[in-house]
Amino acid sequence: MAGIKTIIGLSFVLAIGFLLVILSSALFKNYLTLLVVATYVVAPLPNWICGRAANPDDFMESSGSGVIDFGRFLTGFFVVMGVALPTLLYHSAQIAGGAAVMSIVGGLLIYGTIISFTLFFQEEQEF
Amino acid sequence: MSSHRLFRFPKPAWLNSANTRTAGVYTAGALFAIGFYMLIDISVWSKSAMNPSDPPVHITFVDWIPGICSALGMLVINSIDKSRLSADSFSYSGNGVAWKARLVLFLGFALLAGGLAGSVTVLVLKYVVREYAWPTIWLGIGNVVGNALVMLSSAVLWVAQNMEDEYTYNLAL
Repeated sequence: MAGIKTIIGLSFVLAIGFLLVILSSALFKNYLTLLVVATYVVAPLPNWICGRAANPDDFMESSGSGVIDFGRFLTGFFVVMGVALPTLLYHSAQIAGGAAVMSIVGGLLIYGTIISFTLFFQEEQEF
Repeated sequence: MSSHRLFRFPKPAWLNSANTRTAGVYTAGALFAIGFYMLIDISVWSKSAMNPSDPPVHITFVDWIPGICSALGMLVINSIDKSRLSADSFSYSGNGVAWKARLVLFLGFALLAGGLAGSVTVLVLKYVVREYAWPTIWLGIGNVVGNALVMLSSAVLWVAQNMEDEYTYNLAL
């Protein structure tokens, strides 16, 4: 089961992700890549909020699933935004290529950590 | 159920699962993000140091109109409750709900198709006719690709939402 090793491993990966993103901005003296962190931190929020706003088990009321779908749509949007934003900045010569690659990899690590954390520790919240 | 089928091949079973529907909605969001950032990219790139055109060619408001039309069309199409499209065959709905739903839906699809066609028009009239070379013509091509992606995202979202209706229907039976 998800134990202390999982927590240590996940925090390790999270630290590496933050390290990559901060390096990508500090090495090149250009702090635009920090936007990636904000994007990936915001990404799980729509699912969470819309999941609370609607009851998925209610089949009689069809209006609830629209809210959930909107949350999923926004999540997909934010996840791809985390990759698209550094690419855009690199394409317009706002950041260097190395900074773009480092921030994309670091952002994916951060988001993967958040997702796997919620996956591992979901059972304990259910009752 | 099977006697009402029109086509020889049945719809594959995985198309009706809830997981496929969820994946479809996520995919629609991802496609919309790519299209949206393609539009942002051309406008940022147009003002950046990477734009080599001389005399300078920049994005004007004309280039934004197709994107605005596509986004509006997507919003209109996906705000419609799909079950209202066939509402006239049931008696629980009021008068002419399906008619109104089809009219609004038509407007949405017209906006979406108009956005794509408008982006091609901008590409041809603003960039191809004046014979710009590759790095500059990206301003037009990116516009077309972005609008096409918004349209594709809208289609994926539409299919995913229709899937959900049939899934709920099967479950209710």
